[in-house]
Amino acid sequence: MRSQAGSASAVHSAVMDSAPGSAEARLRSGCLGSPPLPPAAPRRRRPPGSPGPPGVYMAPRPPARSAGSASGCGLTSASGSSALTTLRRPLGALPLPALALTSVRSDGGGAMKEALVLQSRVAAHPEARCWFLAWSPGGALLASCGGDRAVRIWGREGSGWVCRAVLADGHQRTVRRVAWSPCGSYLASASFDATTCIWKRCEDGFECVTTLEGHENEVKSVAWAPSGSLLATCSRDKSVWVWEVDEEEEYECVSVLNSHTQDVKHVVWHPNQELLASASYDDTVKLYHEEEDDWVCCATLEGHESTVWSVAFDSSGERLASCSDDKTVRIWQCYKPGNEEGVACSGTDPTWKCVCNLSGYHSRTIYDVSWCRLTGALATACGDDAIRVFEESSSSSPQQQQPTFSLTAHVPRAHSQDVNCVAWNPKEPGLLASCSDDGEIAFWKYQQPERQPLDGDEAVGLGVADHHPPALLAFLPEDKERTRSVGDGAHLTQQAASPHPAAPEAPPGSRHAPGGRGER
Amino acid sequence: MKCENCTKKECSKKQKNDDAQSTSVDVLSSNDDFEEKNEFFTLANAKILLSDCLACDNCMTSDEGARVFQQNQKEFFRILSLNKKCDTSKHKVLAVSLCPQSLPYFAAKFSLSVNDAAKRLCGFLKSLGVHYVFDTTIAADFSILESQKEFVQRYQRRNQEEHALPMFASACPGWIRYAERVLTNLVTPHICTAKSPQQIMGSLVKGYFARQQNLSPEKIFHVVVAPCYDKKLEALREDFYTALYNSQEVDCVLTSGEIVQIMEQKSVSMKDVTEVAVDSLFGEIKEGDVVRHDGKRSDGYLEHIFKHAAKELFGMDVKEITYKALKNKDFQEVTLEKDGETVLRFAAAYGFRNIQNMVLKLKKGKFLYHFVEVLACPGGCLNGKGQTQTEDGKPDKALLSQMEDVYAAIPVRLPEANAYVQEMYQDWLEGMDSRKVQETLHTKYSAVNQTASNLDIKW
Repeated sequence: MRSQAGSASAVHSAVMDSAPGSAEARLRSGCLGSPPLPPAAPRRRRPPGSPGPPGVYMAPRPPARSAGSASGCGLTSASGSSALTTLRRPLGALPLPALALTSVRSDGGGAMKEALVLQSRVAAHPEARCWFLAWSPGGALLASCGGDRAVRIWGREGSGWVCRAVLADGHQRTVRRVAWSPCGSYLASASFDATTCIWKRCEDGFECVTTLEGHENEVKSVAWAPSGSLLATCSRDKSVWVWEVDEEEEYECVSVLNSHTQDVKHVVWHPNQELLASASYDDTVKLYHEEEDDWVCCATLEGHESTVWSVAFDSSGERLASCSDDKTVRIWQCYKPGNEEGVACSGTDPTWKCVCNLSGYHSRTIYDVSWCRLTGALATACGDDAIRVFEESSSSSPQQQQPTFSLTAHVPRAHSQDVNCVAWNPKEPGLLASCSDDGEIAFWKYQQPERQPLDGDEAVGLGVADHHPPALLAFLPEDKERTRSVGDGAHLTQQAASPHPAAPEAPPGSRHAPGGRGER
Repeated sequence: MKCENCTKKECSKKQKNDDAQSTSVDVLSSNDDFEEKNEFFTLANAKILLSDCLACDNCMTSDEGARVFQQNQKEFFRILSLNKKCDTSKHKVLAVSLCPQSLPYFAAKFSLSVNDAAKRLCGFLKSLGVHYVFDTTIAADFSILESQKEFVQRYQRRNQEEHALPMFASACPGWIRYAERVLTNLVTPHICTAKSPQQIMGSLVKGYFARQQNLSPEKIFHVVVAPCYDKKLEALREDFYTALYNSQEVDCVLTSGEIVQIMEQKSVSMKDVTEVAVDSLFGEIKEGDVVRHDGKRSDGYLEHIFKHAAKELFGMDVKEITYKALKNKDFQEVTLEKDGETVLRFAAAYGFRNIQNMVLKLKKGKFLYHFVEVLACPGGCLNGKGQTQTEDGKPDKALLSQMEDVYAAIPVRLPEANAYVQEMYQDWLEGMDSRKVQETLHTKYSAVNQTASNLDIKW
């Protein structure tokens, strides 16, 4: 999402006005076989004459605007280098001008930018969107797929990444998702042409060994189970299919699940069990497992207020993160029957409850969430072109029942358009890949920032400064949790839902202030 | 002023009363209407639960959806109440045909023997105003006989004709619709052209029976009680409609569950209903004890065709059929061995996932079977969504198990052994291989071309 060069008021209103209409149009297209859309004005344009350099893009700062409405939306606005440098002055030199408040908030503070550093960028799918990325299980290769109907395999060369193979001619339409088999010898690609191709790795590349057909329309996702013998696909036809592959590379449909009432966006397997999760336009996440000789839906996770775009299990599989068009990320915890916390379960099936709701951090739809199996860091890909990383705070309650996550990195202009996918490398801690509608893949290095005293810059950056005169900030205690919870309407509140069934689930965090209404 | 029983504006009865009386009569009649309306609203609020084969928009147009939905208790009562009114031109002869898989449902649900269940159901329906209650086993007899014959013919042509084998059963409307609309030319030439029992029953009631009773087909309102909702869609088939008489061969399909709803609505318990013998198509003769065809969960095509083919093609008499369950319990295989060689391979594939696998194999050219009995519902027709679905949308496994036991206990009668069937072949159909047989008992399947959706969907 971009602001156009121009007056501040134009910036903010342009961003606000263009956002709902076009995002909505984008969301609606295809999901419901929608009526014709009004011609969408191009939502993004680089200010003329400025090629985006690698790294965070910073346009010339617009003139100052009052903190009021602009701050409310927390949207990325053109951030000014001058504002940043202003804030880097030692504390004693403050007070900070009002304009700095606005712009720095959207930047998220310098420390957070340094936590996630760009290593390189590749124009992966020219003239098309790059939809998804998947690291090979060994971590050495990255598969990408896009609107150009091809799958590309990238490998490291020196400090950069080069294209090692192009898998074209597999599909007639956009390839939406790719997935590696756990052994790394096979790659599945799911396409809008309603088929899923299975590619096998051979000496000189990849060859398509079989095509899975059966879905009525666009296949949105494909995922391989940890055992390697099961595969799941999901589609706009609202169904989730489970396939089994035998030793002779024969694929057979094991089950067709019609639990969702709308387009299913994503499927993901539990890291070590044969438990499948799916995310849908019907605002729910569903879990499935095998019972007798068929697959059944064993749990439905409700709570999101809009399309759930993606889900990710943590390394233990005890927790699930889901991200949604409602701009929140929710963390769900698994409670097995006979659990200590006293959460009721039906029969032998575990219950899943929402234990954390990260709201107020994202200003637009969150398209993807990735949970690092090595470090536990949670990365999100957002429609506001930004990438954010969260870590669980060690100061969460000892029983871990009400985890809190803190934002440890935020790159506001990670790409020049919507970020569609983020993927942590499975072997190299801190290596993150992301891709975007702009067709590019970016590689990042994440360094968990050390805990530093909360100085004025960060406090302002975190948006809690509304209600405190800047000068006082220096004297606030180090405890980040407390500063964060101060001031409501502060956009970075976290709502932790009580896991106990008696207590109602917490209302979905503070909504954005007047400026940014949720869109569907 | 209208007579309360009348649909006509002026009624000869009415004119005899004075105005004062008519006002009070009108008040009463409007109450009646109100009660009836309430009844309609509660009954007709049910959802339609189609099989997975018909799950997507490709398979049913909204117009068809509306017509399927229209086949409900409300429609049934409308016809019944028209019969009570004075306007004889709107009166119809009501005939209800019961599917063989519906009777075990009533038997299991009300803990009755299947014969008692049949008779009480007949008694109940007649108490509502139905004139004839039939059993569709005879229609299934015809369907099986024709299918058997066709299989043998296809087997004999298998080397000359590419599409002769495999042959797929044609009794399940969900499967047929999916095959026509989605699978199209890959599958349609392989579907057995014999009509399904429901379709044949339609011909029997509105053709044979109507003629016997000197009735015009459109004077009969033919209701079928079926285990599933897909049958409602089948009733709309075009070759099921006689333009000459402006009449569908089956006017309304009600599921077993919908009949039970009517009973509950009227606070009638099966225990209290008087038993009335089920009618047959042959004048005053009543049906005897309930019989069924071979097989466990369907009309028995696999079993009967297998036995017939074994006899006709290989001279072998098969007494017992052994099933081998593959992948899951809804995919079973039956083979015939002769001199150490497998000469016939049949399969039963129930449920959407097994249909998918079958189609995948067909596409790859790795299809081993000569005949497949295909059904849209896992568990077969007894598990149809019109019977076993409970409130929360899950099938009632306990009830299904009881139904299977009831069904298994019913004595088997071979279609060849039904003397009436043989008679009808001679009299009504003019011979076993006549043109009339082809017209009345066979149908065609068309691969309907879908409009390619050209939306370049971004998501």
